[in-house]
Amino acid sequence: MSKVDRLERLTNLMLVLLGTSRPLTLRELADAVPGYPGPGDARRQAFERDKRILRDEGITIAVEPVDGPDQLGYRIRHEDYYIADLDLSPDEQVALNLAVAAVHQGEPRGREALWRLGISTPVESLVVADLPDLPALPVLHEAIRTAATVAFDYHGSTRRVEPAVMRFRGGWWYLIGYDLGHCAARTFRVDRMESLPVCGQPGSAALPEGFDADKAFADKPWLLGKDDQIEVDVLVDPIEAPLVLLELGEAAVLERRGTAGTVFRIPVTNTDALRSWVLGLGHHARVLSPPDVRAAVLEWLHAMAGYEEALR
Amino acid sequence: MTTGRLDAGRRLRRLLAVLAYLAEHQSATLDQLAVRFEVPEVELIGDLQLAACCGLPPYTPDQLMEILVDETKVEARLGAELARPRRLTRDEGFALLAAARAIAAVPGADPQGALSRALDKLDTVLGRSGSVVVQLDTPPLLDDIRHACEAAQQIEIEYHSSSRDEVTARVVDPGGIFESEGHWYLDAYCHRSGGVRRFRVDRLRWMKPTGSATCHHVTSDNLVGTTGGARSGGDSDVTRGDALIGDTVRGPAAGMTFVPGPEAAVVRMAIDEGGRWLLEAVPVLGVADLDDGRKEVTIAVAGRAWFDRLLLRLGTHARVLGPPELLDAATQAAQRVIEAYAVADTS
Repeated sequence: MSKVDRLERLTNLMLVLLGTSRPLTLRELADAVPGYPGPGDARRQAFERDKRILRDEGITIAVEPVDGPDQLGYRIRHEDYYIADLDLSPDEQVALNLAVAAVHQGEPRGREALWRLGISTPVESLVVADLPDLPALPVLHEAIRTAATVAFDYHGSTRRVEPAVMRFRGGWWYLIGYDLGHCAARTFRVDRMESLPVCGQPGSAALPEGFDADKAFADKPWLLGKDDQIEVDVLVDPIEAPLVLLELGEAAVLERRGTAGTVFRIPVTNTDALRSWVLGLGHHARVLSPPDVRAAVLEWLHAMAGYEEALR
Repeated sequence: MTTGRLDAGRRLRRLLAVLAYLAEHQSATLDQLAVRFEVPEVELIGDLQLAACCGLPPYTPDQLMEILVDETKVEARLGAELARPRRLTRDEGFALLAAARAIAAVPGADPQGALSRALDKLDTVLGRSGSVVVQLDTPPLLDDIRHACEAAQQIEIEYHSSSRDEVTARVVDPGGIFESEGHWYLDAYCHRSGGVRRFRVDRLRWMKPTGSATCHHVTSDNLVGTTGGARSGGDSDVTRGDALIGDTVRGPAAGMTFVPGPEAAVVRMAIDEGGRWLLEAVPVLGVADLDDGRKEVTIAVAGRAWFDRLLLRLGTHARVLGPPELLDAATQAAQRVIEAYAVADTS
């Protein structure tokens, strides 16, 4: 069957399901919509595929019990099909159009959303921001919207989380929520999720009273760990100090040592991640204390130097 | 990705959008529709002719959608039910919210402006208020740089290039700024290097207007941040190596096609399990399995300082295989940092 036939069948199916006031059985639908195979498995499979496509397009087909041998009937309820009136003023519509045109996020779904709202206007705009496009994002958003728990694999184990907020910062998307396994607030990097999240039943998540997603948010890799929290002092030379200041904030400054640089005091729960960050600053930064963290960095460097020599 | 199923869904989505527009406006020219819905005219005509055969049983003319397509325009009389906005899919809803939040987060956006008001309305329909937060970086010079772009002012800048680990002063004609993967970038014509260059705004140490207007126009064709095709293209006069791979330890995941600059060296490395993060972190030119379970990874390196930092982070999880002059790059990089520790200890 060609794709054109498919689109025609889908369009007719949608119009029939939307136009009917009572649920229609598959037999009635196959009579009303040209293009379905004769009675049997092939017809049911074809219908199931069409249902899936419509569902992926955001069109929900309601299944309801009906009298008679077929038992099940289908229709599209108007409240499932139409969106509540957003009542956007013309300037608000323009603002949304500009925003969608100015943000690059992979597939043009934002543009399609505007089509669907009937407020799409072509605008010329420079892209001014770039957001990563991850399949998990809409799923997590749905979980938050419907107050559903969400399950996904992360660092090799399955987490069950009551989701609170999705946050974009420093080029990454994070999910902040209450981890039911650890009984604590946790921050997860969405691109690090090892499986597509699965939503629980709507209403299955109830965040603890007074849950503060802003306070729970930890976006620094050295805070996304399981170790006990320690404080690490890092000296950064004047070349890199301005950037580090921008990254860590004034509150992290312990001491200014003029031409020697700036000492930052950093809370850390993942020393491996901190080492990676400090070494990413090259010879412009070094760990001052505590001694064991400093020794671990030097050990890493010595191993590197020796490794190369041993293999030469 | 282009299975028949996806294709049919995508075309249905577009067709419903076109029909909704026609239901409201009754007529439109083909080129208007083609631009608005980003579809080639031939496809548009095909879909509309097909839709003209759709309707309700018994599919007699009075039950079909009334759509007339001629060479230049479409006329349609469609039921008002097709004009009412449809519910968004979760993907669309999220994409719309995230885009709007991102633009509302651009420094200088009006918190009481039209976009913020639209966002409040979207929140009531699409989710919970405050469930999506977008924070963009705000380097100190961002406002000044943006102002220079808008006013087409030539500026002098001092720039710390992390790929070369050097600070240089340059006179540039700013073209535009954009945010990508957590950083703001400035695309500008650089008089020092005689071409369009990209600078990370947070690596600018200071700037001041020279008092002249810009004399080189950084067009959307040689800018990489436009909605046109330039973003995915490899325009030869844009040297992305200067800043993009030099300063960004990130991949091209967000649509930034990586094109090595002319000065880039191609480096082969063997990495073990502990170095796998490299594959996500930098633009990789090639990956192959090695017999011992490690991976051979090929990357482009524009600046030695950037490469040294990468090696330091990889530690013993990576080993350079070539070119020969970089075989002991890791040793040298490690020794240089060890020396820095030693100097600090004795001073």
